[in-house]
Amino acid sequence: MHATYVIWNKHMLKFLRNREELIGLALQSVLWVVLFGVGMRGMISDVGGRDYMSYILPGIVALSALGGAVGGGMVMLDERLRGILKEYLAAPIPRLSILLGSATSTATKAMVQAAIMLVVGVLMGARLALNPLGWLFALLLLAVFAIGFSGLALAVAAVSRSIAGYHGMIFLLNLPLLFASNALYPLTVLPGWMKVVVLLNPTTYLIDAVRTLAFGAEPTLPMALSVAVICLFGTLCTWLALNMFQRTVRG
Amino acid sequence: MTELAIEARGLIKRYGDLTAINGVDLAVPTGTIFALLGPNGAGKTTTINILTTLIQPTAGEARVAGHDVVRAAERVRQCIGVTFQDIAVDQDLTGREVLDIHGQLYRQSSAERRRRIGELVDLVQLNEAIDRRVRTYSGGMKRRLELARGLMTEPAVLFLDEPTQGLDPQNRVGIWGYIRDLNRTRGLSLLLTTHYMDEAEALAGRVGIVDHGRIVAEGQPNALVAALGADVIRVRGQGDRAHFATVMAGLPFVDRVETDAEGGVVLVYVDSGSRRLVEVLGAASGNAFRIDDVTVARPSLGDVFLHHTGHALRD
Repeated sequence: MHATYVIWNKHMLKFLRNREELIGLALQSVLWVVLFGVGMRGMISDVGGRDYMSYILPGIVALSALGGAVGGGMVMLDERLRGILKEYLAAPIPRLSILLGSATSTATKAMVQAAIMLVVGVLMGARLALNPLGWLFALLLLAVFAIGFSGLALAVAAVSRSIAGYHGMIFLLNLPLLFASNALYPLTVLPGWMKVVVLLNPTTYLIDAVRTLAFGAEPTLPMALSVAVICLFGTLCTWLALNMFQRTVRG
Repeated sequence: MTELAIEARGLIKRYGDLTAINGVDLAVPTGTIFALLGPNGAGKTTTINILTTLIQPTAGEARVAGHDVVRAAERVRQCIGVTFQDIAVDQDLTGREVLDIHGQLYRQSSAERRRRIGELVDLVQLNEAIDRRVRTYSGGMKRRLELARGLMTEPAVLFLDEPTQGLDPQNRVGIWGYIRDLNRTRGLSLLLTTHYMDEAEALAGRVGIVDHGRIVAEGQPNALVAALGADVIRVRGQGDRAHFATVMAGLPFVDRVETDAEGGVVLVYVDSGSRRLVEVLGAASGNAFRIDDVTVARPSLGDVFLHHTGHALRD
């Protein structure tokens, strides 16, 4: 536990110090909301009676959580490729704490990114439901999702041979997670085959739950199912990361 | 309590079909500087990785500071310091942060960390740079910082994998100085790997010569050298080297003849180099072997390497 904290703390220190990464992350969020949200709003005034900004904000927030996770995976990959991982491996700390330190710092970044997006989105006119408990629960689900995707990013980071390879693999995961989901368009307008794909995507469940909880939309999927899927996704990805990680550190 | 800082018996590490080390035996007495000398790919780093618990051996066993590296890996990790072959320090942190975080990983108190950092910064002479980002350090400064990091937790045994690789001569001599001081003043046991003969000669109390995953010779450097004979006459030339070597071996005062095929050199071990030089040259001229260059010297660790492995060690 102690070592997890030390590694988390170190990653945060590096994160806060890396101005390019900070500004990049923040700007990316703002640009998404402002450019994409505003542009699309000109075309689509409302979805099912709700303004489009409120509709897509949960999707953009989820996407930004993915972006944060990708950045976190990069840190571990960088430490692995540079050999800094060996410093941890030779230290009297549990192997698991190395992964947990990276996962928690990755998830923290994802959450920070998501929080910025929420604020910008609200400033741009998205309407939150007046339900603080719902917000809290939505954030919690977002955190579980972020940990899950961090796990996925770390699993990829554990096996990548280069930074370019990592980005290639992550991009392949990232794109369908966003576009093959209900982030930008409602489930009802999709053709049958795509609906199947979208329903296989855990992001869909997160977005639906966040929409319901924080923005007061009618759920299109049962809430209990959404929560179950998100938790399962988080657990599976963490398990995957652990597996991949152990494979790389075993000599 | 054991008298050996490191002992290994029959260490083997295989990766699929590739055998990285093939039966390494080691016995490093406490307070000794031990150098594993060998070319790249000989198995030095694999040996260090096993001893520092980074990887597990396929077969064999090893103990560091009395603890088994597999069964008591946690105990081993508590009493060792390591620097790795490739420089591995966080570029975005300052030197002080690197040392401080390292101490935190080992659960040192903040007072203890502050005290150690103060001492080590003096030792490796990084006083002015310690609060700068590592990014701004030269290669030599990074190595010194890594050395300090390895010493942060006052280890009983320090492992240095190629500690001066890629450094300029001035920095190399500097690092040698720190290593010798640590060993002399604190009785620190050190295992280092190197492919530089002069490094092993300058530092090591004992040397293990590594080739193709085995330790082919082991002992005090001067004893290894002395075992070769009194003097060596190195003859570089053109013509039938094998025949020349056979003729040399037939001379009564010649102990032994070795050839370094790649370098085109024949080494003639004799009882007294300066006295026998003329006779060696005379034997050459009668055998259609044209000599380009001759040197007479005491044998070196390089000759020991050639003697035990059949090929020369090149930097």
